[in-house]
Amino acid sequence: MFDAEAALALLQYGDSAYPAGGFAFSWGVEGLAADGLLASRQDLDDIAWEHLTLRWNSMDRPLLGRAFRAADVSGVTAVDRYAETATPSAAMREGSRRAGRALLGVSVRLGGPLSTLYRASVSQAPLLGHLVAVQAVVYRDAGLDLASAELVSGWTLVNGLVSAAVRLGVIGHVEAQRSLGLCRAVLADLLAEPVPAGASPSSFTPLVDIAISRSRPVRMFTT
Amino acid sequence: MIATHDAKGTRMAAARVGIGGPVGSGKTALVERLIPSLLARGIDLAVITNDLVTAEDAERIRRSGLIDPARVSAVEAGACPHTVIREDPSLNIEAADDLERRFPGVELILIESGGDNLASTFSRDLTDFWMFVIDVGGGDDIPRKRGPGVVRCDLLVINKTDLAPHVGVELAPMLAQALDVRDGRPVLLTNCRKGEGIDAVVSALERDVLFRA
Repeated sequence: MFDAEAALALLQYGDSAYPAGGFAFSWGVEGLAADGLLASRQDLDDIAWEHLTLRWNSMDRPLLGRAFRAADVSGVTAVDRYAETATPSAAMREGSRRAGRALLGVSVRLGGPLSTLYRASVSQAPLLGHLVAVQAVVYRDAGLDLASAELVSGWTLVNGLVSAAVRLGVIGHVEAQRSLGLCRAVLADLLAEPVPAGASPSSFTPLVDIAISRSRPVRMFTT
Repeated sequence: MIATHDAKGTRMAAARVGIGGPVGSGKTALVERLIPSLLARGIDLAVITNDLVTAEDAERIRRSGLIDPARVSAVEAGACPHTVIREDPSLNIEAADDLERRFPGVELILIESGGDNLASTFSRDLTDFWMFVIDVGGGDDIPRKRGPGVVRCDLLVINKTDLAPHVGVELAPMLAQALDVRDGRPVLLTNCRKGEGIDAVVSALERDVLFRA
């Protein structure tokens, strides 16, 4: 049965205009374009697939689940620290923390009780605040269940990738919708298979990691 | 120094002042002039820049020697200079909160926007007060175009007044038009290259933002 209230919540939190700083993160799209490795919609589709299947589904999603199921703040903090140690790229770590802290800040200002509690921990620890841990806290405050939180997490990722590609002039607005349609299908397939609670997180996205980590004289995005 | 705590001993947040305006109008030059003037008046200061590309303006200010480089933060705008100060100022808010945490006595945070056009405005969730900087080199019809930046800012600054005779601009009618489209709200003239008009801007900030006489 169609639940309008739940669907509207997903639209709100999955909206690219949700004010949590997402527009400033290209997650490698800018670097790959600068290196000549992303010049078409096909390239973008390939990168989005890589992001979703080889990082988000195998790394972010299990961590999101752990943080979402955490019984207390220390459980979320443990996931946050895991994200810090399991992310080799300094630029990626920094980007993840900045994105997470922005999302957390908005939720705190909206009065989210868990977010407010977690913000107290994050403000004392410069290495905490990774996006995946914060998403769990914020989406719990928003009343989403884990499946919905996973959906929003995956969708905001691909929305950000495609939006960055449009702003960089790699693709146009119509092609962007085609890319999002494809991403939607990939994400739906991934979400159809639940991640076991004890799944060991892993990722392998070397091109993306290098693209984000390379020092560049000209850069418009945080990552 | 002004009071940083209220009567109950609770620390007051730093005032946040936005500085927006078109590319090349002199926003960074204005910040570079404001820093020593504000510091000279005993105001504890920090700066955030929103660079369109990389952290160019932030680096320029950090290397200027005018302020502790640690007090200058850069926020990337993701090719969206409007968005980062208006629709989604969350990254700037976090940067300002971070400066307040690292420098507990900070009283004033200047937030320089990336160069943009006449339509950019600052979110009231981000700033307590915002200035918009245009320059005479852009033409004397800029105020007449009634861009939201020109009309809605708390203080309009018309910079590069020294260029007026060289670009065929008469300052008096330009100033009159600016005041007209702003219904008489403040407009100040500056020449940041020579520091002219800066004291008036600092006085406006002291009076209208920091509530110092």
